[in-house]
Amino acid sequence: MKRLRNANARTLGEAVALARRARDDGARASYAGGGSDLLGMVKERIEEPDLVVSLKTVVGHDQVETTGDGVRIGGLITLDTLSRHQLVRDRFAVLAQAADTVATPQIRNVGTLAGNVSQRPWCWYYRRGFDCYKAGGTQCFSATGENQFHAIFGGGPSYIVHPSDIAVALVALDATFRLTGPSEDRSVPAAQFFVLPSANPARENVLREDELLVGVGLPVPATGARSAYHKVMDRESWTHAVVSAAVVLDLAGEVCRGARIVLGGVAPTPWRVPAAEQILIGNRVTAALAARAADVAIEGARPLSKNGYKVALTKGVVERTLVDLLPT
Amino acid sequence: MGSRSKGLQTRQGGRSGPRVDSEMAITSRGSTDADGLSRRTFLRGTGGALAIATVSPAEAARAATGQTAAGAATRAGDVPRTSIQLTVNGTRHRVEVEDRWTLVELLRDHLRLTGTKIGCDRGECGACTVLMDGRAVYSCSQLATWVDGRDITTVEGLERDGELSPLQQAFVDGNGPQCGFCTSGQLMSATAVLAGNATPTREEIQQGMTGNLCRCSNYNALVEAVEAVGGSVVGDAAADDGGTGISKLATVGPPTARVDAVERVTGRATYSGDVTLPGMIYGRVLRSPHPHARIRRIDVSRAEALPGVTTVITHERAPIVWGAGSVAGGRQYNDRVKAITTQRRHLFNNPVRFVGDPVAAVAAVDRHVAEAALGLIEVDYEPLPFVLESEAALAPDAPKVWPEGNLSPDVDNRHEPMVTTLGDVDAGFAEADQVFEDRYSTAFVHDAQMERRTCLAHWEGDKLTLYTPTQGISNCRHDTARDLGMPDDQVRVVCKFMGGGFGNKNQNQDADLIAAILARRAGAPVALELSRNEDWLGVHGRWPTVQYYRVGVKNDGVVTAIDLRGYSGMGGYRKNSGGISGIELYGCPNVRREVSPVYTNRTTSGNFRAPTYPQGFFGIQSMMDDVADKMGIDPVEFVLKNAQRPGGTIDYTNYTLDECIREAARQFDWTRRWRSPAGSDVGPVKRGAGMSFMLFRSAVGRSSAIIRVDSREQYTLFVGVTDIGGGAKTTMGMIAAEALGVPLSQVEVVSGDTDRCPFSVGESGARTTVMTGTAVVEAARDLRGQLAERGMPTGPNVLIASATPDPSTGGKVRNCFGAHFVEVKVDTALGHVRITKYVAVHESGRIINHQTAKDQIRGAVIQGIGQALHEDLLYDPRNGQPLTPGFYGARHMTHLDAPDIETTFLETDDGYGPFGGKYVGESGIVLAPAAVGNAIFNAIGRRMKDLPITRDKIIEALA
Repeated sequence: MKRLRNANARTLGEAVALARRARDDGARASYAGGGSDLLGMVKERIEEPDLVVSLKTVVGHDQVETTGDGVRIGGLITLDTLSRHQLVRDRFAVLAQAADTVATPQIRNVGTLAGNVSQRPWCWYYRRGFDCYKAGGTQCFSATGENQFHAIFGGGPSYIVHPSDIAVALVALDATFRLTGPSEDRSVPAAQFFVLPSANPARENVLREDELLVGVGLPVPATGARSAYHKVMDRESWTHAVVSAAVVLDLAGEVCRGARIVLGGVAPTPWRVPAAEQILIGNRVTAALAARAADVAIEGARPLSKNGYKVALTKGVVERTLVDLLPT
Repeated sequence: MGSRSKGLQTRQGGRSGPRVDSEMAITSRGSTDADGLSRRTFLRGTGGALAIATVSPAEAARAATGQTAAGAATRAGDVPRTSIQLTVNGTRHRVEVEDRWTLVELLRDHLRLTGTKIGCDRGECGACTVLMDGRAVYSCSQLATWVDGRDITTVEGLERDGELSPLQQAFVDGNGPQCGFCTSGQLMSATAVLAGNATPTREEIQQGMTGNLCRCSNYNALVEAVEAVGGSVVGDAAADDGGTGISKLATVGPPTARVDAVERVTGRATYSGDVTLPGMIYGRVLRSPHPHARIRRIDVSRAEALPGVTTVITHERAPIVWGAGSVAGGRQYNDRVKAITTQRRHLFNNPVRFVGDPVAAVAAVDRHVAEAALGLIEVDYEPLPFVLESEAALAPDAPKVWPEGNLSPDVDNRHEPMVTTLGDVDAGFAEADQVFEDRYSTAFVHDAQMERRTCLAHWEGDKLTLYTPTQGISNCRHDTARDLGMPDDQVRVVCKFMGGGFGNKNQNQDADLIAAILARRAGAPVALELSRNEDWLGVHGRWPTVQYYRVGVKNDGVVTAIDLRGYSGMGGYRKNSGGISGIELYGCPNVRREVSPVYTNRTTSGNFRAPTYPQGFFGIQSMMDDVADKMGIDPVEFVLKNAQRPGGTIDYTNYTLDECIREAARQFDWTRRWRSPAGSDVGPVKRGAGMSFMLFRSAVGRSSAIIRVDSREQYTLFVGVTDIGGGAKTTMGMIAAEALGVPLSQVEVVSGDTDRCPFSVGESGARTTVMTGTAVVEAARDLRGQLAERGMPTGPNVLIASATPDPSTGGKVRNCFGAHFVEVKVDTALGHVRITKYVAVHESGRIINHQTAKDQIRGAVIQGIGQALHEDLLYDPRNGQPLTPGFYGARHMTHLDAPDIETTFLETDDGYGPFGGKYVGESGIVLAPAAVGNAIFNAIGRRMKDLPITRDKIIEALA
C-alpha cells in the first residue's frame, strides 16, 4: 500500500478540520467510516490519500433517536445495527431490509450508513482504473462498451448505477440528509442529495469537499405504512443490486393513500418513479394494478446495447415487490 | 507510436502520474546509510546471511544493516507510524505499526499468528475473518491502527487450555476443512453465529457465514458441522450406501477424520505463505497492461535506486524458458518436445501476449517497498493488434499471437487441429432419419483456489529449496531443475499444506523460477507473492470453448453419427491440451471430432478439475437432450439407448452405468419431476428436471511409496503427494493401515517434501488414490513379507519396503460411472434460477474414506453449478482489458447459493486399484453444468446454449 497517515477524529468537527488542513497543505485526505471500501480502493490506487481521517473514534452519531417530527439516525451507525434495530424494522422496514442485503456480515459489522450512501460506483471500468468521468476524466467506457450492469434511466454522459441500497430506501422514505462541512451545516432532502451525470458526471452527490453526512431524518411514517426492499442479485449474497426496488405504501385496507416507489441498479441516482406511484394512489391495490404500475415504471427506459434485460427485470421487480406488500 | 506505462500498477491514462512522482520524491532521499553502503549492495555482497530474527523479517533485514526501524523510517522518508495497544486472544500487545499496515498484516507478519489467511486482500473472500470485540470482520480491510484498544480473536484463540472448541472439534469430526485455507475464517464466522444464537437454523447459519467463500465448495459439510454444535439433527456422516454389499474392511471405508484435521482447524497448518526464514525479503512481479505489445525498452534504474530494493530482473537479465508454461500438444514437457517445438514461453516474454504477462520482477526488504519499486520501472511498449475470440483468431487476417499463426501446434509441431475419428461419419449421417445441428459455448472459468500462488525460494550453496504450493512436488522439482539447468537432486520442493489448486498448481509455475532467480541474485531468501488479481490473470483457468455439433439420429432414437467442430481458447500460451471430451460417452460408431486449440490475447488457459470434461459434457449432453426433446423421447430413455456399452472393441473391468442412472432416477423421483412438454408449468415460477451421466476415466498407473517400521511397531509411510484438499494424506494412511493390518493410529504419513518422499505423479486428474494407493498396497505387502521372514525389528533397526508398481488392466478399460439428476425452479419474471433438488449417484469402486469422498463430490458439484450459472472472465473487446478478475467479479457460489447435494456411492471391487478404489475427485464437476442446463430447459422450454447461464440470458430467452 502507499504510505499514508491515519488521524483519529473525536468529533465530526475535528474530522472536517483535519481533512481541510491536509488539503490546505496540498495533501489528499479520505474519510474512513467502516473503511472496507476505502482500503480496497487505496490498494487498487483508485483513491490515494496521504491522510486517512478515521471516524471510528468519533463519539456519537451512531444512534436511532425518536424526535418530535420523526426519527434521526446517525450517519455512523453500522449497517448491522441498523438492520437489527427494532424501531427501524417495525416502522421503516424498507431501510432495515436494505441494510440487511448489503454485502456480508463482516462488512455490515463495520460499514456505516454514511459510508454506504456516499460510496463510489462499482462500475468495472471505474474500479479497474480507467480514466473515466468518475475518475475526473472525459469519457464513459460503458456507453458503447460492456454495459450489462449499467443505467437504463438517467444515464449520460456517464452510465453508472448508484451502488447504495441504503440510498434507495432513504429516498423512498423521504429522508432529509444532514451535512456538516468546513463552512456550514446544512440539510438536503434525499431527492436532492444525489446528482445525475448530466449535472455533474464526476460526482454522485452534492457533498462538497470535506463535507460529511452527519445523519438522516425520517418523517413519521403514516399509520398504514408498509414498506419493503427487494434486491435482485446475480448470486444469493455479496453483490450489488442488478435491479432493486424500495416501496413504501400507505394503505387503508386495500386502498392506497400514498405510494413511493424508488428503483436501484437502474440509474446513476436512486430513481423514483412518480408515474407508477400515481397509478396506485387512490385505488384498490390488486395484483392487476401492481402489474399496471410496473408497466408504467419502465416507461421511458433507455437501455444500452447490453442491458436491455434490465427493462423486463425492473418491471418484474416492481410488480413482485408491490404484490408482496399487499395485505393477505 | 509507443506508450509509456508502468505496468499494471498504475491507472490507465496516467491518472496517478503526478501522485507516483510525489511518492518517488519522498523515497529518493536517503538511499544510502551513513557508511555509504546502500542496503542493496550490502545484501548482494554478504549473500544475505543474517542473524536469526525474533522480529519480523523486514526488521531483521534493517537491523542487519545497522538501521533501526526508526532510523530506516527517517531515512526512507517518514513512513507514518503509531503505537497501539490491542488484545489478541487474551494477550495484551503494545506494538508500533506503520499506519498503512492492515490488521491481517499485523497479525501474520508481526505477531506471528499465521492461522489467519489472506485470500484476496480486498474483502471479497472472507479468508481473513477474525473477531473484533466479538464481531466478525475482514482483517485485510481494517488498518491495524484502527483496532487500537480493541479485543481481537483469531483462530489461535479458539482453543481453551489445549482443548479444541466444540466448533473446532465438529470441524475435525465432520470434515470441515478440505484444503483448509478458508477454515479459520469459517470458524470465526461460525463462532460469531453461535455466540449470537446457540441453536441457529440452517438458513441462519448460511446467512451468518455467507461472507466466507470456500472454493473447495465444502459448504454442505461446513454447515453440517455448525449444526452439530447447534444441536440440530444431523444425518449420518456417510453418504447413503447404495447397498451393493462389497466386503467390509477394517480401516478402509468408514468416514474417517483427516489425520491432519487438528492442524487445519487450529491455524497450525503451515502453508507456503506462512513459512518465514531469517533474512527473507519480498518479491513482486510487474505485468503487462497491454493485451499484446512489444517491449522496446525497459528502464529499471529508478526502481533499483529505491532504498530497500535489492534486485530487479527483466527479460534481458533473466532469459529463462519456463518449460511447463507452454507445451505443444498438451504433453508432459520433455526433451523431445523441446527439440521440436519452436514456441518457447519465457519467464518474461517479448512480445507480451496478454494483460498480466510478466515483464519484470523485484525483490525488496518488504512488500510495500517492493510494490513501490514496481511503480518505478519504466517500460516503453509498442501496442500491437490483439484478438480475443478463438474463431476470430483463426481468420486469415487476424492479428498473430505467434508468428506461425494462431492455431497452436501439436507435439510434432504441426499446426493442425486435433482430430479423432471413428467409423464413417458421412455414412452415419446418410443413415440417419433426422440430422440436428447446433452451437454451444462455455466461458473461461478460473480455478480460483483460496490460496494465491506464492513461492519462498532459498539457496544454500548450490542447493535450492522452494516452499511453494504445488500439486506435484516431484514434477515441480524436475521442472525447476530442468529450467534452471540443475540436477534434480539439487532442488528440494516442500509443500506440507496447500490451499487448493484444482489444476493450476501442477508442475512448477513461473513464480517458482522468478523467486529462485531473485533469491540467487539477492543472496537472500525471497518470498514472491502474487496478488489475487495477479493470480487470476497470471496463472490460468479452464479454457473457453465453442462447440458446433451435428447429430444424426434414426426415428427410433438411436444416434448414427456425431460430428464436433470445436474451438478452445488457450490464451497467449498453450499450457495444456485444449481438448473437448464427451463424444466418447455415446456408443455411436460413427464419430468425427475436430478441436482447434487457438491462441488469443487473453489470460492463459490450463488445467482445471477434469480439464476437458465439464465443457464438453455440457455441450454434448445439452445437444443430445435437445435431440431427445425434439424427437419426443424421455432424456433418460435416450441416454440408456445411446450410452457407450461394453462389447464390441471395449472390455470394461466393470460397468455400472445403468445402476447409477436407475438409482439416481429413483431417489430423485424422475417421472414426477420431469415436465413434458418442457416449460409447461403455469405461472411465473416454473420447475423442471434434467440429468447427466458419465463414464469417466479411472486408469491405473505408476507411482511410488515407501513404508518403514521401527521397533516400536510404528509405521511411517512416505508418499510424494501433497494434499490439495481431497484428503490424500488420510486416504494413503488408511490404505496403508488396511494393507498392513494395523490401526490408522499406528501409521504416520510423511508427504510434501522431495528430500524425504518418493515419486508421485502429482495430485491431478483424480489419480492419487488409485496410483499412489496401489503403490502403498504393494509396499505394505512387501513389508509384511519382510516381517514374516525376519520378525519386528529391534532397537534402532528398521525394516523398509519400497514399491513403484506400474500396473495395467490388461487392455481392459477402467471407468467410474455416475448420474446426476437436478430439479430447478426458475422465476421467469426475474430470471432467477434456484436448484431445489440435486441427486448425485456415483460408482467409484470401493470408497476408501466415505467422508472425504462424499465431500469431494458435493464440493465439485457446487463448483460445477458455479460454472453453469455464474462464472466467467469478461474482456472489453475494444481494448483487450479484463473487467472481472477476482472473487467479486466471478460471482462464486456462497453459502447462501449452495444447495444440498444428496450423494450416494454404489460400491464395487473390480480387483484393480487399492482394494478396488477408483477416481473420485473430478467426478462431481464433470456432470453438474450439463444436468443444470438440462433442468433449466425442462423448466422454461428454452435451450440455454452459452455458459454461464446468467439472469440476463434467461430474461432475453424468454422475451
